[in-house]
Amino acid sequence: MCDWCEKYGDGYERWYFNPANYARRLYKIRKEEAEALGAEANPQAAGGMSVVGHDFLEARERGDMAEVERVKQQIESAMWLAHCGQVITLEEALKIVDIMYPISLITCTCRRSMEGLPDEENFTCMGMGAGMYKWERWPDTYRGGVHFLTPDEAKEVLAKLNKRGLVHSIYTFGTPYLAGLCNCDYPDCAAIRTVIDLGIKILWKGHYVAKIDPELCNGCASCVHRCQFRALSFVPSRNKAYIDQFQCFGCGLCATECDQEAITLVERASLPALANVW
Amino acid sequence: MLPTITVNDEKCKEPLSCRKCLLICPTHVLGLGTDVGPQKFREIDPSHFIVRAVRFDKCSGCMDCVKVCPQNAIQVSFSGGDAR
Repeated sequence: MCDWCEKYGDGYERWYFNPANYARRLYKIRKEEAEALGAEANPQAAGGMSVVGHDFLEARERGDMAEVERVKQQIESAMWLAHCGQVITLEEALKIVDIMYPISLITCTCRRSMEGLPDEENFTCMGMGAGMYKWERWPDTYRGGVHFLTPDEAKEVLAKLNKRGLVHSIYTFGTPYLAGLCNCDYPDCAAIRTVIDLGIKILWKGHYVAKIDPELCNGCASCVHRCQFRALSFVPSRNKAYIDQFQCFGCGLCATECDQEAITLVERASLPALANVW
Repeated sequence: MLPTITVNDEKCKEPLSCRKCLLICPTHVLGLGTDVGPQKFREIDPSHFIVRAVRFDKCSGCMDCVKVCPQNAIQVSFSGGDAR
């Protein structure tokens, strides 16, 4: 079972469908977060959204796996307490905007950092919950301002972002307080690149795994560019798409693009070898 | 091999509006930060933005960032010596 659902699900099908996780411990957390991570946790001060330092990359290059593992665990345990995410499907995202309030469209801080993307082109991130009412305290985090959305407007935006090929994921700010619904891509999303490039799990795989029906797949390959997790490729000799299910994050972007309905999402829990691959 | 990538902040004045190096890098190595950190109740002035290497491990040493910088502010070197 998903650790987060086990700890914070409280009887709900998923921990992110539990409304309590959008409201509790709101004002206490920021202090705890700073204590958990230390002053160095500020990604902007550290210079450019870097989750790891140069030392980690050096250890990795010289093959010092013990050191790599030590730093990895150190980062993960701090991040799981303060700020971590899980991939969700479009359907799940649409459901979430109905159970929490308010929801706001904000600029993506990762893309500002990695692309210097102008604010007007950068409204792809969503801030959620009562914390958004105090956004003006941190004008720089919310550069470009905040657009508060109705649930219907939020659904429209999510569908458009999905069409563009962005992965939906949900983030804690002081776990398990959920306050971010991000729409991300590799490599400019700090979470996606950190988990894909460095194997540091600050973004957890979702509750589904994509599966191709070889009978229905017509080999059009329109799904291949949708995968941000290097799980999807194309097999010319069979003229079919191929999904590495052990690498799949279950975002469902490939499935929403398939005209043939050849890709379905299977419950991770139903697959013995994948049930604990997060 | 990991490079040493340095940016002269004196020369690189407003990277948020320039962003030439961020966009030209084939492997998205560079990122923006600020030299002041988050400021409560205040938007950070663009002059406080700085360019830093984030994904050192992805730098191929192509030097496109060095060449594109209008201020000649970026240096990339491998093994301690200047690559060029």
